[in-house]
Amino acid sequence: MSIPITLNRKDFVSDQTVRWCPGCGDYAILASVQKTLPDIGVPKENIVFISGIGCSSRFPYYMNTYGIHSIHGRAPTLATGLAIANPELSVWVVTGDGDGLSIGGNHLIHAIRRNINLNILLFNNRIYGLTKGQYSPTSRTGTKTKSSPMGSLEQPLNPIALAMAAEATFIARSIDAHTQHLNETLMAASQHKGISFVEIYQNCVIFNPNEWIGLDDRRVRDENILYLEHGKPMIFGKDMDKGIRLNGFRPAVVQLGNGITEDDLLVHDETSTQLAFILASMEFPEFPAPMGVIRRVEKQTYTDGLMNQIETARQIKGNGNLRTLYESADLWTVTAKDQNGVASKQTGQLSLEVDEEYVDELDKEPEVTTAMQDRLIEDTIAALSPKAPITIDVSASLAKAVRQMNTHRIGCLVVTDAHDKLVGIFTEKDVLHRVVGLVEDLETAVIADYMTPDPIALKANLPIAQALHEMHMHGFRHIPLVDDEHRPEGIISFRDVVHHLKERFA
Amino acid sequence: MNEETEFKELDSIVVRFAGDSGDGMQLTGTQFTNTSAVFGNDISTMPDFPAEIRAPAGTLAGVSGFQVNFSNKDILTPGDSPQVLVAMNPAALKASLKDLESGGTIIVNTDAFTQTNLRKADYAMNPLEDESLVGYHVIEVPLTTLNREALKEIESLSTKDKDRSQNFFALGIVFWMFERPMETTLEWVQKKFAKRPDLIEANTKALQAGYFFGDTTRTFQQRYRIRPAQLPPGTYRKVTGNEAMAMGLVTAAHKMGKPLFYGTYPITPASDILHALAPLRHFDVRTFQAEDEIAAMGSIIGAAFGGAFAVTGTSGPGVALKSEGMGLAIALELPMVIVNVQRGGPSTGLPTKTEQSDLLQAMFGRNGESPIVVLAPQSPADCFNIAVEAARCAMRATTPVMILSDGFLANSSEPWPVPNPDDIEPILIEHPAAREAEDDPFMPYARDEETLARPWAIPGTRGLEHRIGGLSKAPLTGNVSYVPEHHEQMTHDRAEKIARLAEFLPEQEVFGPSSGDLLMISWGGTFGAVRSGVIKAQRNGRSVAHAHLRYLNPLPRNLRDIISNYKQVIVPELNGGQLAFLLRGRFGLNIQSFPKMHARPFKISEITSKIEELLG
Ligand code: SF4
Repeated sequence: MSIPITLNRKDFVSDQTVRWCPGCGDYAILASVQKTLPDIGVPKENIVFISGIGCSSRFPYYMNTYGIHSIHGRAPTLATGLAIANPELSVWVVTGDGDGLSIGGNHLIHAIRRNINLNILLFNNRIYGLTKGQYSPTSRTGTKTKSSPMGSLEQPLNPIALAMAAEATFIARSIDAHTQHLNETLMAASQHKGISFVEIYQNCVIFNPNEWIGLDDRRVRDENILYLEHGKPMIFGKDMDKGIRLNGFRPAVVQLGNGITEDDLLVHDETSTQLAFILASMEFPEFPAPMGVIRRVEKQTYTDGLMNQIETARQIKGNGNLRTLYESADLWTVTAKDQNGVASKQTGQLSLEVDEEYVDELDKEPEVTTAMQDRLIEDTIAALSPKAPITIDVSASLAKAVRQMNTHRIGCLVVTDAHDKLVGIFTEKDVLHRVVGLVEDLETAVIADYMTPDPIALKANLPIAQALHEMHMHGFRHIPLVDDEHRPEGIISFRDVVHHLKERFA
Repeated sequence: MNEETEFKELDSIVVRFAGDSGDGMQLTGTQFTNTSAVFGNDISTMPDFPAEIRAPAGTLAGVSGFQVNFSNKDILTPGDSPQVLVAMNPAALKASLKDLESGGTIIVNTDAFTQTNLRKADYAMNPLEDESLVGYHVIEVPLTTLNREALKEIESLSTKDKDRSQNFFALGIVFWMFERPMETTLEWVQKKFAKRPDLIEANTKALQAGYFFGDTTRTFQQRYRIRPAQLPPGTYRKVTGNEAMAMGLVTAAHKMGKPLFYGTYPITPASDILHALAPLRHFDVRTFQAEDEIAAMGSIIGAAFGGAFAVTGTSGPGVALKSEGMGLAIALELPMVIVNVQRGGPSTGLPTKTEQSDLLQAMFGRNGESPIVVLAPQSPADCFNIAVEAARCAMRATTPVMILSDGFLANSSEPWPVPNPDDIEPILIEHPAAREAEDDPFMPYARDEETLARPWAIPGTRGLEHRIGGLSKAPLTGNVSYVPEHHEQMTHDRAEKIARLAEFLPEQEVFGPSSGDLLMISWGGTFGAVRSGVIKAQRNGRSVAHAHLRYLNPLPRNLRDIISNYKQVIVPELNGGQLAFLLRGRFGLNIQSFPKMHARPFKISEITSKIEELLG
């Protein structure tokens, strides 16, 4: 903004009557904002205030800038869209502990995390004011209100720690009653590029008037506030006689003197994540309330990143051309030929429609079951070390067959013809279903009439998967193996497959 | 060449590819469609995705289907029932068989009919071995085995990788059956797998092997010939509804000289619009993936205030969450577009299936008197036009506009005569100019006399600083006001400016006689089926006409007159009768409803039988 701007506080005062309760801390914050804005170096027409719902959210109506009084909790979402639509603007979000941390908690987190170029002012009065005094997400446990007559049961949210969790690039705290400090803090926030999150302790004189006792009274406040300055030791107190030291991982208040010097104290570092968490954890009155800039780091803003992408895309592809866009697919041109019809031919480039399914499949990590499938597909039946078949001639008697099975303790005989070729298979199942109780004379009955003729037979160089497939399809427990001349050379069972897999994956 | 295979000349045929969601069926269908389109057929397609992206392989829940209707003449729907089904496994067969035309052809991969797969598909018996397929022409192909055999020389690929190209083997067979050239697909393979020569080889060989398998075996008794369609001369591409919507939105932004801000949260079936827009940064497209539906809505209000062409896309459940923000947008009177790609509801409902059941939600789903403009595209390609029209309406009346697309339109495709961008009228927008202190104060709600639009003053303009909000306002200044007359006037003005859009929008056209026995009124994605059904009935001498609405709020100005010219009026729609309800309320006329709640599009035959039933 190179144009010299001469604005004053009055330029920012709108024609609307301010309607907060007399004595409300909001007045002081409004005055402070109106006092600071003329000096931030932004033309008034480039400043926008966006709020949600609550006492604080009336704020935009009193500012003579662009503004939206939106809906409960959603102000960060509107501000985000606005900042993306026009990154030149200075966008301010005014919210409260109910609006920003309860109903709008999610939006607050994500606006912070994205490092959108916004200034978020969270007025924390630890109470619901507009709805007349219920406890809020920052009310201390035990707070007695209309909705918690026996004391609130809830653990309060720590706004600074929340902003840290979302890795805000600028976090500060101030208080309504300390005009000078508030002005400086707002100025610092306005100058930061990216998200600036400012928690402002604000006094609700009607429903929570005692919340900031000790901090908002100019006679005692310096005793209780730790004013943070980058690179300076953490000293506080009216007489600057106390400091913060680290005992292990814990901060502790120490009295200077008696051998304790400035060198023993923590030095504020706006870029230290760890220190910011420590400061966030320091609650008044156990500790002095840390105020000022808690954290300030540089990171690319969302909109800078977006504008870079637009710029890069334009350098690579040129400014978007609608015709090219429409034609980025398979094209074909139809030309009128004669009465008989039309000719059609491909005229354009081929589109590269992404075949998600296929690509996903290729990228997928092989699963254990898949590895097993692979083994079944890649290992051949030979790997099962098939047993030699026990053969029997097709003209043999059933009695002989059963004797053979018993002698060899097997459940399956392979039946061959005069040329030793496979002609059938005879199994325990056949014995059970076709022989037992049905055949009177085993000696005269011939196996040829009771076997399964022309059984499915495989070659040993086929994948195990195929053997399994056949077993499944037909309910076989055994499959004979044959050579090229269809002579049996082995037999495999379902059990062999299981055994093989067990060995492979043991 | 197998000399015995005869060619049968057909006008059109419907083919469905069905398999496991990992079988590449969407790709197979798309390739077949592209080839048919390039060949010159008219086409209409409908994919059918499983709801679970990773449903267990081989189960009914995991079946992914793609149906294509191709023809030598103008067609409007993906076809009632497939005549040819390619089933890659038992589950695919089971899921599609009920839709198949009796006597239809089934090509099955017999290798997939294992005991395990049969069990997963809930088949007690192998349907290939019992009576279940009597009456169909079943062609059994051991596809996996044949494909492995064809690819056996590619050593760098595992068997599993080879099996992934078996969909191309199937595609090759179908190419042969329908006399399609392989070039388009082969070229695609070359480009797609440019970095993986082994995959080029595998897919090329698989496709060719499938084709030659058809050519050399005697399994097939029939080939089919569908000649090119008589599409009007011009250059065409294939487009889905979501693609067309994305291009329409970019076009509108371009035509108004603004960046397109698209703030959205991923949701089926609208996400593809985001996917189509995200790569268009060089058009100054600013896509924003918000943390939730509410934030997406908030972001477009902010972007609209900032002067961008602000759009969000979602589906019914997302609209439910956005309704609070839509109410604010209506009160702020800022121009923006909300795309609702409808799916089956209520609640999570049927994410991947289509329905038209959000019409009343669009009309009334907010607190207070909060009218919104509602438009609905009638075909996939029409999504392009409707996006541009929605932008025009939003800008003209400075108000949010909702587009009701649906899951069917979003994913279906048809040939689209590629428009000349120069033929599309610019969208003129006037932002009020900067003012100095001595000028009259700026009135953010001073309305245009003709359109009742309010000035769209954007931050960054000197002297126009103003505050707007969700509280009730005074006319002209927009200042907070609880004055009863103010509230009444503002409520009236917001409704009136939408009503006045009817003067700007075209009159309703009627297809068929301007008076007669029956008028069918439909809207949105049912256009193709209803129009085809009405044409059939007209050919049978029925006195039936068709009015298809693209504008639902405001309704076309001549609709009332049209309706009163027919003895009977019926509204077929994929919901419980929502448009019929609206029309009855609006016109107080006797309007019948023909609801369908299968979460699937109408079949042409359902329309024709309804007509026959009514006209006896
Ligand atoms: S209720 Fe409390 S916060 Fe609200 S205006 Fe009154 S004093 Fe201020």
